[in-house]
Amino acid sequence: MALEQKPGDLQADPLVALEGAEDLPAIELTDPLWRIRLRLLWRNFKKNWGLFAENKIGLVGLFIIGVFALMAIAHPVLMATVWGGDNTEIYDPVIGYDAVVKEFIVVEVVTDPLSEIELIDARFTNINAQVGDIISQPQQPAPPSSKHLLGTDPLGRDVLSQLMFSTRAAFFLGMVAALVTVFIATTVGSMAAFFRGFVDSFLMRLADLILLMPLIPILIVIGGFWTIELWQLGVIIGVLNGFGGVAIVLRSQALAVSVKPFVDAARVAGGSKWHLIFRHVIPNVLPLSFLYMMFGVTEAISLEAVLSFFGLLNVDMSWGLMISVAQAEGYLLRGLDVWWLLFPAGMAVSVLAAAFFLVGRAMDEVVNPRLRQR
Amino acid sequence: MTTPLVEDTSGLKSGQTLLEVDNLIMRYKTKQGYVSAVEDVSFVLHKGEALGLVGESGCGKTSIALSLLRLQADNGEIMGGSIKLGGKDLVPISEEEMRTHRWNDISMVFQGAMNSWNPVYRVGDQIKEALDLHWPTRLSRAEVRERIGELFALVGLPADAQDRYPHEFSGGMRQRAVIAMALSCNPQVIIADEPTTALDVIVQDQILKELKRIQDDLDMSIIYISHDIAVIAEVTDRMAVMYAGKMVEFGDTADIFSAPRHPYAWLLLSSTPSIVGPRRQLAPLEGEPPNLLDPPTGCRFNPRCPFATDQCRVEEPPLADIGGGHMVACWNYEDVPVGITAGGVA
Amino acid sequence: MLRFIGVRLVQMSLLFLVFLTLLFFLLQAQPGDFSRQFLDPNIPAENRDLIAARFGLDQPLWRQYLTYMGNILQGDLGVSFARYPRSVVSVISERLPRTFFLFTFATMLSYYLGFMLGKVLAWRRGGSQEMGITLGGVILYTVFYPWFALVMIWFFAAYLDLVPVNQFLTPIRWREAPFSANTVFASIIWSTLLLTVGLGLSLWASRKPDNLAQQRLIRWGGVGLSFALFLAFWLPSDRRTFATDIAHHAVLPIFTLALVAFAGVMLITRGSMLETLKEDYILTARAKGLAPKTIRDRHAARNALLPVTTSFVLGLAFIIGGGLITETVFSWPGMGELLLVSVQNQDIPVAIGSLAMVGALALIAHIVVDVLYVFLDPRIRYQ
Ligand SMILES: Nc1ncnc2c1ncn2[C@@H]1O[C@H](COP(=O)(O)OP(=O)(O)O)[C@@H](O)[C@H]1O
Ligand SMILES: [Mg+2]
Repeated sequence: MALEQKPGDLQADPLVALEGAEDLPAIELTDPLWRIRLRLLWRNFKKNWGLFAENKIGLVGLFIIGVFALMAIAHPVLMATVWGGDNTEIYDPVIGYDAVVKEFIVVEVVTDPLSEIELIDARFTNINAQVGDIISQPQQPAPPSSKHLLGTDPLGRDVLSQLMFSTRAAFFLGMVAALVTVFIATTVGSMAAFFRGFVDSFLMRLADLILLMPLIPILIVIGGFWTIELWQLGVIIGVLNGFGGVAIVLRSQALAVSVKPFVDAARVAGGSKWHLIFRHVIPNVLPLSFLYMMFGVTEAISLEAVLSFFGLLNVDMSWGLMISVAQAEGYLLRGLDVWWLLFPAGMAVSVLAAAFFLVGRAMDEVVNPRLRQR
Repeated sequence: MTTPLVEDTSGLKSGQTLLEVDNLIMRYKTKQGYVSAVEDVSFVLHKGEALGLVGESGCGKTSIALSLLRLQADNGEIMGGSIKLGGKDLVPISEEEMRTHRWNDISMVFQGAMNSWNPVYRVGDQIKEALDLHWPTRLSRAEVRERIGELFALVGLPADAQDRYPHEFSGGMRQRAVIAMALSCNPQVIIADEPTTALDVIVQDQILKELKRIQDDLDMSIIYISHDIAVIAEVTDRMAVMYAGKMVEFGDTADIFSAPRHPYAWLLLSSTPSIVGPRRQLAPLEGEPPNLLDPPTGCRFNPRCPFATDQCRVEEPPLADIGGGHMVACWNYEDVPVGITAGGVA
Repeated sequence: MLRFIGVRLVQMSLLFLVFLTLLFFLLQAQPGDFSRQFLDPNIPAENRDLIAARFGLDQPLWRQYLTYMGNILQGDLGVSFARYPRSVVSVISERLPRTFFLFTFATMLSYYLGFMLGKVLAWRRGGSQEMGITLGGVILYTVFYPWFALVMIWFFAAYLDLVPVNQFLTPIRWREAPFSANTVFASIIWSTLLLTVGLGLSLWASRKPDNLAQQRLIRWGGVGLSFALFLAFWLPSDRRTFATDIAHHAVLPIFTLALVAFAGVMLITRGSMLETLKEDYILTARAKGLAPKTIRDRHAARNALLPVTTSFVLGLAFIIGGGLITETVFSWPGMGELLLVSVQNQDIPVAIGSLAMVGALALIAHIVVDVLYVFLDPRIRYQ
């Protein structure tokens, strides 16, 4: 590298240090440092983006995330316009209600739930109902119509509105969990690697313990005895991941970094311990952190859905809850007959989780060169 | 020199021809295009002969070695030429047939042979694997042990070392065991690709001597590959200098050492502190080997060559015999000074 | 080796104590205490205090902690609230074998299949087939599991009507049964366990002799004998029809759990295989002229197995969580279902007891894998 005027400072720029600068065009040494830095950052971003974009699956993942983000943004807009005003009562994802009154034939055994009704159910509406009668009653869940593009749920609420509304919760939770994870894991990993000795073994034993703990059962017990809010779940997942598995991975990365020449150079130049950690070790561990952020989001989204599926999370509306409602009302065994109850919510959880996972895998190939195909 | 050197009319050493490589071309296909790692390489290996391949790293030495076994990476393809082993061309035969030749006829000591061992199996069992496959008769367990014991004795390892795992060996021991494994099926040719690069100097020297002794005792043919011209000087009878996938000089090791005719060989020699031969002044070899995705036109060495002329930049010099079997691919080899000084090189 | 196991056992017991301590504080951190949560608020204050004193709730925290730990370590987990007066231990001991059964089968199946497919995938890197299967693996791996289980039930039980919908057995069939479901279930577990041991032994013994014919004889003889003994036990038994009833109910939950766990194993195996294939010893093996299949199985896959085994420990929490969801969704009366129902009923002793058991299960599986690892990787030598 041609830039030696501040040993261990510019050299330690994570991006320069990670990628090496051989193939970058020459840089004017007269430019101010920050501008060089910015330019390096930009170049590196372009380079990494190129590597990332080679992986079509990663792009698909990114695209899916984008679509979901649009859904999250579109919901409040729709609620303020098309679904707003007088329609709020109909389209509100939580307290909305709309049911078309429809005629049903009363039968003993229902074969087509969309036009027939069981005798017992019919008697809720009309105590004198007999088999063969035709009775009118609100249809819920109702199949998709022009008014409700994805139909309504067993409580007469618009499924599309629920679906879009829940996207926000998923992103929010994923974000909280991922940020907490990265923050804690980066700190823990760097400290363990840098201080070694007691700090290291304590933090790593703790990580082992957390890894061994069966997360879902514990969350179920916690969720059963307290009311957990969404953000609290995010923090719990973040803390457990941050002190657990991710810390172990980042520690080994930090260990590898802290023996690199530029860290030595900075140490010789008289950098303090904290300076070294924050300026040199952490920035170089960050790319790997981002990778685990993606996997963290995947996990958080699934966990949230599981907990709200079991009714153990205090949330107004979420994908897990949508499925839980449909199951509780016994609609799921009807399968394709009520596909709008079965598929949109379940697919949304799975697809969004998969999208983050795919982006994570694609990033893995950028961050870990050994995974790259030639 | 251990085998008597008798010059025949063609300039090649007498003795039975074992391996004949003609106009071999091997290229790696990459997203950016073809990497021409082995370009039009020809040589002959005789029985009992030690042949050296030398060149900076990235010149295609390993690629040649792997091509001989048809083990080049998945993206590598032999695009022309022939590899005749005892008169039989190995290029067109099927993969199944090729497998019967590997190790049985041509075995290899790999670059970084330290990692050539599978960590989860005992060393003896890994050699047994080759014997089970290639030995003409089916050996019983006791016979296999005995055979491995003999091989180990040959390379200076105790016979009971075969029951140990690779991680229980030191680097030098692993290397010796690798040589024993390469010898196990009595191959006609052994390719030693940087056999000592990863070892410390003393062990390096021991192992080279041992290889040389074994070669003499068993009258074997070896192809030595090294970026270190001193190693080649020590153990080979004839040598080839590789540059950027091409063979630029070929001849008796002694001839090339006393009077390299290709500018690259000349610079390579003069930039190496001499172990053998007269004291030399160090001349720098500047720059780096070219990117083989897009090699320079004309002579591939021209951008780094102090003797380059306009002709060199457009026209590729053929590998031509300049007498006594000494072949050089250079338009201006006569300009290269005999005897080495740093004087003419800027 | 024995010493290594001993050390691991001690370490794990310590971890278990830490785990129990955490559980205790988890309980303590609840708002209010038991006397306030579970008693009629109209009870006079002095009565409430009396009851609290009887349960030791007036004691200082550290005494409560000691009592709690003492009781648990003596195997006394208290009495279930919801199933009063059954003890928690008796409830758990009925449930534990069922969970063990589900968990063991699903795990073995998923690791076996995942490993086999993963190694083939990595070996054939690059095809569109490989891409498709990998993508399928990712989808299975990230699928919302409860939902997936429901879809499986709908498809296989309701739509195709291949297997019964949920539950552990068909109650009507058992009305006249001369023995309890638990005894039949115990014989299922023991017989399959012995069968597995028999199969393992024959594979192991077949490696010993020097010639191929003998090896084959021992291998197939041993396998045949194991199956013959298994059938000889079940065919004449009057428990057979009942056992098949249980097995019939077990198929779908095991298959579903295995399918999801399988995807993770497959992806890990593929990644680990791809790494191994770059190793020098693979090139050596090719240079030796070994057949591709030998290289794949004996050299690459054997080494790729190591990270996969390590990942088992990490995957454990995943499988346990998955097992819990499986039990709940399939109404399979095991530990997981017990845990969820007890949490929903606020049956605290049972909830804590089953969580402690699940923790213990995880630790034991961890030790088993650790010991296994020593056999798999000769580089690891525990003094
Ligand atoms: N699998 C491959 N794909 C593309 N290029 C390769 C591959 N393997 C080697 N190369 C390139 O081929 C050239 C020759 O490499 P190699 O035979 O290893 O040289 P040497 O052994 O002389 O160091 C180098 O430029 C190297 O980058
Ligand atoms: Mg090489």
